[in-house]
Amino acid sequence: MIIRHLALRSGPWAVARSPFQALRRFLSSEIDSIEASAQNSVKQLQLLEAQLNAAILQPVPTIDPETHGTALSAQITDSVAAEYHRYKQHQQLIGHLGSHITPHYRPQTLLNHPPSPADVTLELLLASEAHQGHATSLWNPANARYIYGIRQGIHIIALEVTAAHLRRAAKVVQEVARRGGLILFVGTRDGQDTAVVRAAELAKGYHLFERWIPGSITNGQQILGRCRTKVVNEKDEEVPGFEEQLYDRSVLRPDLVVCLNPLENYVLLHECALNNIPTIGVIDTNADPTWVTYPIPANDDSLRCIQVIAGVLGRAGEAGQKQRLAAAEKGWVTFLPALDLKLPDESEDDTAKKAAGKARKEVINRFNEDQALGNIGEMEDKLDALNNRDGRRLRGGRRIKIVD
Amino acid sequence: MGRYDFRALRVRQTAKALFENQRNDFLPPWYRTIGDIPPGETLARPVLRTPRPKGRGARKPSRIFQPLSIHHPEDKLRDDFFGDHPWELARPRLVVEDSGNDAKNYDWSKIVQPGKQLDGESVVQRQMWLMKHQRMSKPAAYDQARREFYQHRHLEDVKRRIAKEEAMYVGAYFGKGPLEIGMDLENQSWESWKTWATKQIEEEQQMRAQMFSGSENENMQTSSEPEFDKALEETEDVVSHSSAG
Repeated sequence: MIIRHLALRSGPWAVARSPFQALRRFLSSEIDSIEASAQNSVKQLQLLEAQLNAAILQPVPTIDPETHGTALSAQITDSVAAEYHRYKQHQQLIGHLGSHITPHYRPQTLLNHPPSPADVTLELLLASEAHQGHATSLWNPANARYIYGIRQGIHIIALEVTAAHLRRAAKVVQEVARRGGLILFVGTRDGQDTAVVRAAELAKGYHLFERWIPGSITNGQQILGRCRTKVVNEKDEEVPGFEEQLYDRSVLRPDLVVCLNPLENYVLLHECALNNIPTIGVIDTNADPTWVTYPIPANDDSLRCIQVIAGVLGRAGEAGQKQRLAAAEKGWVTFLPALDLKLPDESEDDTAKKAAGKARKEVINRFNEDQALGNIGEMEDKLDALNNRDGRRLRGGRRIKIVD
Repeated sequence: MGRYDFRALRVRQTAKALFENQRNDFLPPWYRTIGDIPPGETLARPVLRTPRPKGRGARKPSRIFQPLSIHHPEDKLRDDFFGDHPWELARPRLVVEDSGNDAKNYDWSKIVQPGKQLDGESVVQRQMWLMKHQRMSKPAAYDQARREFYQHRHLEDVKRRIAKEEAMYVGAYFGKGPLEIGMDLENQSWESWKTWATKQIEEEQQMRAQMFSGSENENMQTSSEPEFDKALEETEDVVSHSSAG
């Protein structure tokens, strides 16, 4: 402690307060007062700053004695570009030092950057444990063609088959999204919610990660009647003014359902079958593949596998939506517009109604022709007959009853 | 029961029938898509075992539709190693695959692989490599792989011990181990049982004291002494004749 400073500093105090206290304070030389020590440190810093400024080209920012931070003027004078250049130089100098981390599995990447259908490899499916089925005693013999073999008492699913079925399902999702169909992603097991929501977000579809309320399709008017619906144009912009008409419309139904755990959602799949809605499902070795239209044989108990499958289907939906919006930009509408809706400013007189009806029929006919393109020919009928033969052959061969 | 429901697979045919019979005004948006990408054949069983030719000793072919079990050459080696070292199975193991190609980056000319923990599988793969590339016999390769494994396990132990010593030198401290925690718990329950037992004994003694009144007790004790001596004298003859006496 420098006694000269103290005498200087405590001078006014000595006048103001009792002389005895000042004397005692003067005599004790144990510690600095807080202010004095702060003052000292500032002075030391300023000294250091002066030395540094003399030694190097780059000036060190001055210390503000009030706030004890670097002065604002110094921060501004350094241009951003110079800072960035120095950062880059620094990075080049020492960036390669330290340990090298090899690429490794990070669980969140499957959600943040899901693989696209082109990225599906057998290695990816193997790493996500898509090949592990259930114990051999739990199998459903209908899955025999998806099973590669038995290993340590469990069935191993053939990954080529999984990849092929997954790509096929992705193609279906993409096409349905391109044609403006409503896609519903369902995964009601614990931990599947994030994957389901992400897939629905990508495909601009809908998601369900809690219980499927039985009857939401067959008895939809009662269960979903109060849900909000909106009218959008081909560019997905909301068109207001249809509220009254929407109130009387029947509830919406999905055009495609993707179910990640069919075992728990038999009711949903049954309702879809009753209402002629195609379904895609992850079929483990203990599930029944006839419940869904497009089975994807894979392990439905592995969350990583579910994330891969949901991500791939979501990416496919995203591609389809992009195609649809690109077509809309060029003025092509890839889907059949809702026909029983009137524009809010449409007039009510007879001739207009007739004209509207005619236009509507024309639109329907055009779309149906487009849909059934090539269906008129014999080729299509033959194909349909071939598809139907599947059931007939079974009927002849194994005498199974068929519900139509 | 026993019924197959093919409605899910026949959505396209159903949609077509509904449209052709004027039940629906228009075809669904997926109609063409499902026509282009039809669902696969279902309920078809591939024949996985060739049925035996008919002739001498021919039996009825069975289980021809059931999947076959998969065997690998290292299965036997694995059985041997884990039979000899059963506690290796009790060690925690990392089973998460990074890319699915992890095994392709391993070079089994050395037993230690970067990015893979040393475990029984390392021994098996190393043994396989020795048998294949150095033409070693199965037991010789096993011995060599096993010895390398023991050596690296020993080095791991040393590394762990040194790390602990270094950490403790700079001020780290470690809590009780599982055995010490177990002993503490046992001591606690022993002490609580002891207090409970002393209390029970006291209560029982009090009950007994209440059941017999004090005066009777004293009388019995005072009067019993001569009677006891007398009884002793009476039984002495009998006891001395017995084999125990």
